[in-house]
Amino acid sequence: MSAGGAVTSELARRRFNEMVLPHLDDAYGLARWLTGNRADAEDVVQDACMRALASLDAAIVERPRAWVLMIVRNTAFTWLAKNRPKTLVLTDDAQLLESAAAKEPGAATPNAEESLIAAADEAALESAIQGLPHLFREVIVMRDIQGLSYREVAAAIGAPQGTVMSRLARGRALLVDKLGSRA
Amino acid sequence: MTSPSDDPTLLLHAALDGELDAAGMIAVERRLAADPALAAEYARLAALRDAIRARLPRTSAPDSLRARVIAMAQAPSPAKPAAPRRAWRFDARYASLAASLALGIVLGAGVYGLLAPPADDDVQRAIVAGFVRGRLSGQPVDVATSDRHTVKPWLAGKIAGATTVVDLKADGFPLVGGRIDVVGKNPVPTLVYQRREHQIALSEMPGAGAASEPRRATRDGYSLIEWDDAGRLYAAVSDLPPAELDAFAAAFRRAAAAEREDAPKP
Repeated sequence: MSAGGAVTSELARRRFNEMVLPHLDDAYGLARWLTGNRADAEDVVQDACMRALASLDAAIVERPRAWVLMIVRNTAFTWLAKNRPKTLVLTDDAQLLESAAAKEPGAATPNAEESLIAAADEAALESAIQGLPHLFREVIVMRDIQGLSYREVAAAIGAPQGTVMSRLARGRALLVDKLGSRA
Repeated sequence: MTSPSDDPTLLLHAALDGELDAAGMIAVERRLAADPALAAEYARLAALRDAIRARLPRTSAPDSLRARVIAMAQAPSPAKPAAPRRAWRFDARYASLAASLALGIVLGAGVYGLLAPPADDDVQRAIVAGFVRGRLSGQPVDVATSDRHTVKPWLAGKIAGATTVVDLKADGFPLVGGRIDVVGKNPVPTLVYQRREHQIALSEMPGAGAASEPRRATRDGYSLIEWDDAGRLYAAVSDLPPAELDAFAAAFRRAAAAEREDAPKP
């Protein structure tokens, strides 16, 4: 590394404390949802923090939380592809999306569905979300659990807000479908 | 893909997420009133959102992970055998710097802005960093006491000059204790007050002179407020909402003014 390395690394370290550490809970939360378990999530977060630290010299960060989550999701996808390739479904697959969207709103006994959804317990919600393809799961976690705005989610997944909206809509349709039709 | 404004389903989601402006909300409400199927869909989505909110809280990172990440950021070179390929990023100079900085943290002194004179931005950065560190370490104070008559002499033993320490328990901000932060090259006394599960760290520095109106800011999601009073600059940072930090500042200024009235004239 150049002679300037020590100085810039000091800057990176300071920015790390200010920009990354405050969002460690959300980083871990997202990693846990994406990997599906705690131990893998810890590996991913640690790896993501290394990457964040290494890039903080040069990075221009407008929205620290979205930036941290972007690194976490990218790290998680890389990590899953390497270590858990069978679990990773990175599909924006038209068929899957169509089947979710094809179910006409209000087709059958809407009130029964609504109360079933409202009564879903933690385990049912968790397994329904965990069962979503990753690209839907991540936007639902960021928006509905972590409370990011569309703009922040868009920054985190590196896609336009329209994509965020359609993935949210389709992910939620899948959840409504699953939770509303439990026996 | 249809544009969001044409697709009533996407509009429903945007309405639910509070992402529509007033005109958009009116349009959605009209559609809901006119279309029972759409209204039923909206009710299902609202039920889903409420269920997720109520039953799937945000996760907290385990303390052990937090500790590892903090350690990694402080002294990255020798630790982390799991990823030795990255060790080259940090040269020896960095490691020794990091070690001395880590020592500074152990001593309870702030370590930020050592190289630059404290401009306003440096003050904010330093006090926010001190606040975050205090929260993370679970040790926000070096002297823990709710008695201001203990904090004040403790601070006086560490730094030149008297620090304003007031009791705000009656205002709902009990004192937790005090510590020394470093802003620029200067040690500054910092008091920590409690509000429910939140904390407020208040640092006192040499100021511009005349009393000023409070100035507010936010930084990395934390609320900041600072003001000049009787030749001193006060800067407070908290994870409280800005309105409550305002209330804290007002209470502190009131109590500090009352104490100056009572103090014997030099």
